[in-house]
Amino acid sequence: MDRTLRRRLEARLSAQLQGPIRQRHDQTEIRIRPGDVPDVLRTVHDAVDLRFEILADLAGVDTGDVMQVVYHLWSETSPDWLRVIADGIARDDPRCPSATFLWTGAEWLEREAYDMFGIIFEGNRDLRRIFMPPDYTSFPLRKDFLLPDDAARSPGEGVRHIERPVAAARAAADPATGVRRARVS
Amino acid sequence: MPSRTARPNTGAGARPQGPPAPAQHRSEDDPRVMLERDINADMYEPIPPYPTQTERESEFYSSGDGEMFINIGPHHPATHGVLRLVLKLSGEQIVDVDPVLGYLHRGVEKICENSDYYHVIDQVDPLEYISSLFQEWAAVLAFEKLMDVEVPRRAEYIRVLSGELLRIASHTLYMGFLALDLGGLTPILYSFIERDEIMEMLASLTGARMLFNYFRIGGVNGDLNHEFMSRLGDWMSRAAKQTEANAGLLNENEIFVRRTRGVGVLDRATALRFGVTGGNLRAAGVPFDLRRAHPYSVYPELDFNIPTRDEGDSLARYLIRVDEVRESIRIIDQCLHNMPDGPVMAKLPRLLRPRPGRAWGACEGPRGMMGVYAVSDGSDQPFRFRIHDPSFMHLETVPTLLPGNLLADTMTIVASLDPVLGGIDK
Amino acid sequence: MPASIGAGSQGSAGAPVPDASKSQLAAPVPGEITAPIVVPNTLWRAANPLAYDGGRPAEVTHLREFGLTDVGRRDDARWGALQVVPARADEVLDLIRTNSLWPLLSGLACCAFEMMSGATSKNDMDRWGMFPFRASPRQADVLIVAGTLTTKMAGPLLRLWEQMPEPKWCVALGDCTVSGGRYKRSYSTVQGIDRVMPVDVYIPGCPPRPEGLIYGMLQLGQLVKDRRGHWAEREIGPTVPDKI
Repeated sequence: MDRTLRRRLEARLSAQLQGPIRQRHDQTEIRIRPGDVPDVLRTVHDAVDLRFEILADLAGVDTGDVMQVVYHLWSETSPDWLRVIADGIARDDPRCPSATFLWTGAEWLEREAYDMFGIIFEGNRDLRRIFMPPDYTSFPLRKDFLLPDDAARSPGEGVRHIERPVAAARAAADPATGVRRARVS
Repeated sequence: MPSRTARPNTGAGARPQGPPAPAQHRSEDDPRVMLERDINADMYEPIPPYPTQTERESEFYSSGDGEMFINIGPHHPATHGVLRLVLKLSGEQIVDVDPVLGYLHRGVEKICENSDYYHVIDQVDPLEYISSLFQEWAAVLAFEKLMDVEVPRRAEYIRVLSGELLRIASHTLYMGFLALDLGGLTPILYSFIERDEIMEMLASLTGARMLFNYFRIGGVNGDLNHEFMSRLGDWMSRAAKQTEANAGLLNENEIFVRRTRGVGVLDRATALRFGVTGGNLRAAGVPFDLRRAHPYSVYPELDFNIPTRDEGDSLARYLIRVDEVRESIRIIDQCLHNMPDGPVMAKLPRLLRPRPGRAWGACEGPRGMMGVYAVSDGSDQPFRFRIHDPSFMHLETVPTLLPGNLLADTMTIVASLDPVLGGIDK
Repeated sequence: MPASIGAGSQGSAGAPVPDASKSQLAAPVPGEITAPIVVPNTLWRAANPLAYDGGRPAEVTHLREFGLTDVGRRDDARWGALQVVPARADEVLDLIRTNSLWPLLSGLACCAFEMMSGATSKNDMDRWGMFPFRASPRQADVLIVAGTLTTKMAGPLLRLWEQMPEPKWCVALGDCTVSGGRYKRSYSTVQGIDRVMPVDVYIPGCPPRPEGLIYGMLQLGQLVKDRRGHWAEREIGPTVPDKI
């Protein structure tokens, strides 16, 4: 847990942060709006005391309500991983600015996020499907795409009636659409 | 699976009777016009506006004068897996390349979202099937951060020991495959002898030759046993000499050196821009190794070097792996001497329900940084399980490295980057 | 003519020449040569006078009878002083095919590495003639599908199968090809390759040991000898019910 990193980030990015900077174990997490992604990534990449030059991962997350794009970055200046969550992408028309202006390697990662979730990255020169065949029409990792098996049941719940928890896991699944909504944003 | 009622097995052809729904099962020759209401409303369509051909695609598929397209298809004898490369050639020189992935996409992330935490570790094995302990390690690191679990020291040492053994096996295999792709059919046999020995060792430790399912949240599945120690002792007594012999097959082979020196130079800035990690990044001059940069497990207590080279060509990538094998042997030696006593598994409840939260865990695999981002929503299944594979980023550098080289260098460059299609395609 | 030849052998061995018409096993066909054509051995003499049956002429002298006896079906069957094994041509062809089944390099995923382990020095498939893994389907006999088959790859794999010339066999290696395996719930894998192509031998395991693969290939050899791989009669299609 790097306290100095938190102070440096608050100094540089106070305008764009949506909520407090959370730190746990060796990870520092900031939340921003999707529109601020280019500015924040540029700041975090170029600033002399931040210099997060290594892009570790770019992932899409579907919380059931909104979608997120999560970036993981690494710098020599800090022993912590930096996690940037671009939160609040609407599920009906998911758009996010592309990070390919900074890291060319983000191109395929964004293609994967598009293929799995349908998030359109504006600025990506090559946004087509990467894993599924090009004429596939669904986005598999969305929460309303259910596997042929009943996705809401877990074998860990136990076979006998007495082992099934009453409220916890069932409440997580919305009975109307079967979409599992996260209890954390 | 629970609550499945018994059905008589009526064998093949037991189809439900009745006519199919007419709207969905009309043939193309049906003269009736397909109305908007007949189209299945559950189909997802690409969200408009979306161009039918992206910028890069139109740039690639517009061929100039004398340029032709050659397809190195998903099935080809350079067995890195099912990868398709569409090359645009002008004579023998490569102008552009478009890799097509997805021929091994198995939907592991989605399956993991519907499995409990124990099963995720088993599901994550076949990603980089050659070195499957490292995916387990990354997943277990992420889960241990989610659940705040302390791992006993003996378990950490066993993890490092088995991981470094597997790293040696993977690097030996890399050397063999690099030679095989260049046409040398002998080193692969030597590599497989080494690898078979290590696999039998790990089989006596974990129970399986390849997809081990050995790491657990909070430790490892079983302690060291007598058979594993005796096999390991036998192997260690000749490991160093064997490594030198295997490497000596290729290090001074003139054909090999001339075909790999200066081919596919990946310089430092390009490597950082592409998110390349592991041996390929260290061959480009960046001494970034997660075992030293962001130490996990008991690596801070172990003494080893990080080999780095500056040239960035295929030969440098090969030589780095040879050096890493030597360093791994040193690490195994230290592990054996410093192995502490104690339990090999932390005490955990049978039903794992972490608090809602997010965690990222990354380990240094033989190819690079293997990362896992896990999101928990309080239930016994991970809400989002994202795997970051290093070979994915390496393959992304291929359209930059390949143009300008000859057709024969395709396999040199692709093989020297060491892609494993299982991890790339998830 | 026959008398002089027979006299020659009689001179060297001193035993009477049997008469084919006296054989109990088969009736003579009109127009057929009824006396055996015996070529005496005048070129060399064995060191041991009892070798090669002491020069005794054979009891069975016609191929017709030979095929009817069970002596003729043994691997070490002999026919007279010429020391040959008569067999029907198709049995010989089956033996030839069994002992040189050339696989097509079709490694898709993890099982490919166990296949390669089976082909390299420690578990050597070359002992049974299976070492050359051909890269081209035109030259291969067996398609060992090793690794998960996805819906995207199913098309190319089927094209490979169709390009292989007959006689050809298919071996499903690993759980993913047998039934979908650990990817039974996946949205993009084919649940067992017998949904798209006919399979002769299923080898379960995740991944199966190379010894398992070798056992499967030997079973395939047995299959070739027994049924000659009646490939036209193999059915494509799932042998499992629709609803799983």
